[in-house]
Amino acid sequence: MNCEYGEKLILYTYGEAGQGLAAEVEAHLPGCASCRAELAALRAAGGALSAFKAEPSRNTVLAVLRAARAAAEGRRGFRFSWGEALLSGALASAMAFVFAFSGRTAAADLAWNSGLDSGLDSVEYSVYQAQADALSAQGDWEYGLSDLEDESLDFSKNV
Amino acid sequence: MSEENTDPELVSAFKAGDAEALGLLMQRHQAALFGYLLRLTGRRDAAEDLFQEVFLKLVRNPGAYNEREKFKAWLFTVARNAAMDHFRRGSARGEVSLYGDGDKPGPADFTASAEPGPAEAFYGKTEAARIDAALASLSPDQREVFYLRHYSELSFKEIAETLKVPIGTVLARMSRAAARLREKLGGDAQ
Ligand SMILES: [Zn+2]
Repeated sequence: MNCEYGEKLILYTYGEAGQGLAAEVEAHLPGCASCRAELAALRAAGGALSAFKAEPSRNTVLAVLRAARAAAEGRRGFRFSWGEALLSGALASAMAFVFAFSGRTAAADLAWNSGLDSGLDSVEYSVYQAQADALSAQGDWEYGLSDLEDESLDFSKNV
Repeated sequence: MSEENTDPELVSAFKAGDAEALGLLMQRHQAALFGYLLRLTGRRDAAEDLFQEVFLKLVRNPGAYNEREKFKAWLFTVARNAAMDHFRRGSARGEVSLYGDGDKPGPADFTASAEPGPAEAFYGKTEAARIDAALASLSPDQREVFYLRHYSELSFKEIAETLKVPIGTVLARMSRAAARLREKLGGDAQ
């Protein structure tokens, strides 16, 4: 069972073997059932981890975003306003998170996780939706409502 | 600031007072970091707390990250240390150490919970459970490097630096993990 290829196989599996080493492992594999089985097991386990997507809850994400806004505000001094924040996209980001984490479906999940481009689309769509909804149906927000209302009021003053 | 910016650029922007930059940074890394923490702890509530703790550390003291280092290496180092502290606090309170215990309550607990993900749809429940059981059978050291490599996508050399062990140690742990997974998942089936 112990063929001394264990660590070479690891480097090969994770794409860290140089050309020479990769060729050596590939020449070894057809004759070694143990290494083939390890490779298959590593790929199966990695595939299962990749297929199982999990995201932090929106409350967790929003808690960080609120702290980030407060910290950024502190650093920029008292001239900061929520109107500015909305224009610069900070609030829009927060809303994107709100939306990305609300009413999630399997399809939305996949879109959110399937790569940069679709991720961007998803964010832009979410921002659009969030802005539209913030104006018309604030009652739909089941949490953080008072914060968002305050911010909207400040924003309208600035417009 | 946009998705095009590098991690160090986003941190610099946040240091200069741009809160949106922090949001972009978090969005970029949240799935990997949260997945890592969830697997490591086996508990959603613990993973949520640790996730928040890691990013709040950056929010409160962005100077703790130096833009010359790889952000992901910093992020997963902080996360790993936070998880270690979490397990230490747990054992101080007399709770079962999730980290130090070989097989319970393992990751199988949360895949079997209220959160059937695409994994189950793709592999089927039985196969997902079999793989979870195999992962839960790894030693804590093996599991740590396996999850770190998978979620952070850092190189083994970078992982060795993160864990402050020689790279040979990291590779040996991975190799033993592979042997264990092979045993649990069956012979030369594929
Ligand atoms: Zn072999």
